[in-house]
Amino acid sequence: MKSRKALIFWCALLLVIVCLTVFAQFISPYGTNEMNMDRIYEEPGKNHVLGTDHLGRDVMTRLLEGGKATLSIAVVSVLMSLIIGVIYGGISGYIGGFVDVVMMRFLEALIAIPSVIIILAFQAMMQGGVWSMAFIIGITNWLVTARIVRSEFIRLREAEFVQMAKMFGTPTWKIILQHMLRNSIPAVFVVTLFNFAGAVFMEVSLSFLGIGVPPSIPSWGSMLYYAQNDILIGAWWIGVFPGLMIFATILAINFIGEALKNPERRRLNA
Amino acid sequence: MIAKWIGKRVVMGIMVLFIISFLSFFLMHAAPGDPATAFYGGNAQLLNAAEKARIYEAFSLDRPIIQQYSAWLSETLKGNLGYSSREGRPVSIILMERFPNTLLLFSVTMSSIILGSILLGTAAGMKTGSLWDRGLSIISIATSSVPSFWLGILFISLFSVKLGILPSSGTMDIRGDGGLLDRLRHLIMPASVLILTHVGIYARFLQESIKTESRNYYVVVARANGVAEREVRKGVLRNASIPFLNYIGMTIPSFFGGSIIVESLFSWSGLGQLTVNAVVTKDFPLLMGSLLFTGLLVVVSLFLIDCMMYAVDPKLRKGGLK
Repeated sequence: MKSRKALIFWCALLLVIVCLTVFAQFISPYGTNEMNMDRIYEEPGKNHVLGTDHLGRDVMTRLLEGGKATLSIAVVSVLMSLIIGVIYGGISGYIGGFVDVVMMRFLEALIAIPSVIIILAFQAMMQGGVWSMAFIIGITNWLVTARIVRSEFIRLREAEFVQMAKMFGTPTWKIILQHMLRNSIPAVFVVTLFNFAGAVFMEVSLSFLGIGVPPSIPSWGSMLYYAQNDILIGAWWIGVFPGLMIFATILAINFIGEALKNPERRRLNA
Repeated sequence: MIAKWIGKRVVMGIMVLFIISFLSFFLMHAAPGDPATAFYGGNAQLLNAAEKARIYEAFSLDRPIIQQYSAWLSETLKGNLGYSSREGRPVSIILMERFPNTLLLFSVTMSSIILGSILLGTAAGMKTGSLWDRGLSIISIATSSVPSFWLGILFISLFSVKLGILPSSGTMDIRGDGGLLDRLRHLIMPASVLILTHVGIYARFLQESIKTESRNYYVVVARANGVAEREVRKGVLRNASIPFLNYIGMTIPSFFGGSIIVESLFSWSGLGQLTVNAVVTKDFPLLMGSLLFTGLLVVVSLFLIDCMMYAVDPKLRKGGLK
């Protein structure tokens, strides 16, 4: 019961964050790139609730707008990694045998490579916009999904109802989609949630390093990139708030994932 | 038996390195821009077609890509990683200059994380239902949700800007003698950021594997037979450390990734910062070298962890291999 209340709380928090970024332009009175050189580095106060940055831009406006880039990159990349992971894991788990062994060895090798490395290599080659960022994160984030889908498929392949369906001559695609994939959804959903947190993390990390989304597009990561210099002159508000948003988002997702993971685990233990 | 086991690991490691080398080579090859122009920088417009062709021939860029790759690979195996296009110095020398700093940061953080998580995790796992037992999972989720670089920014603004007690960046004081104490002072912030954001998840994993292990029948039987509690705990901890070591091995790649970012924030002149700079300045030979070298480090550390597992787990030693 307690965990259910917690789940609702974290879902609500996530929903609030998403709504704030989606409806950013209605909430904030300033433009995203509206500069005001008379009011640079203004502390949080009456005019600017969260202060202004080195170009006199309103931090709150950029914070809400920045969520758009960060969250949409995460959504697109997670969808992409979900598709790749399901296909890869599905093939490996369904066919099994030698194909499965080869595919799993390859997957293990890929898991041993820090994904930041692959992303850095890609990023050096493609000059990042929002879409290419989503693409790069998407094609490095599918490994765990593939693993889970594979183990689910192997478990389900032997299940009685699947054997039965086969016996009745149900077409293979129907078995895969309706029986196996549908029954893997709970496990895959939890992994996808954690992947989402990972994708947010990756985007902000790269933008923070200055090799993510171009500086003209605000994102939580690129705001922190500028904040590195701003904190040295004491402008703490530029760095604190984007970080808080990232922290709240990832925290909410992680807690939701935990809450959903636990019943699953309890069922498996029983 | 052990030979077969080691052989399997080595093959795996070589495969990882091969994929990284393949990836980095072909990505760099596909990168936009002309290597000849990149080499001559600003003067490139002055080159005519014949001169360009000569440069191409000199660098063997006119040969098929597979030949280029095999030539590059064989040179790499000899330890020749080429020359940095920014600095003009051999990549291998630059890497070796940076390596000690990364090794220092990595060994300090990783050993503190392991030590800390053993302390926190056992305290939580052994006393089921205690406050700490229930609190640890919440704390670990919360701390692992903090972006390490953000925590770093907060630390800088508190300890360097407000209080002025710790240096905000670098590996040593330029004015100082670069002694051990100076280095350690610079190490405090990057290391503590990495430790604080990571120790929670590892402690939690150990806590859970201790709990799973304690539920086993052999523990109940040992207790019923009056085996000293100390000895029971020793056995449980030893067996719980096997999945824990495995978990460390699994997370080492992402831990390396995390330290790349922290190194850049604190200008800790290690491999991570070097790699990021190579991406920013488009120094491809340096980037390829550092990607490959980081991959090698990951493979070696995974191998070390495997060896530790081999030492701890009697099933592996007795040939209970899958």
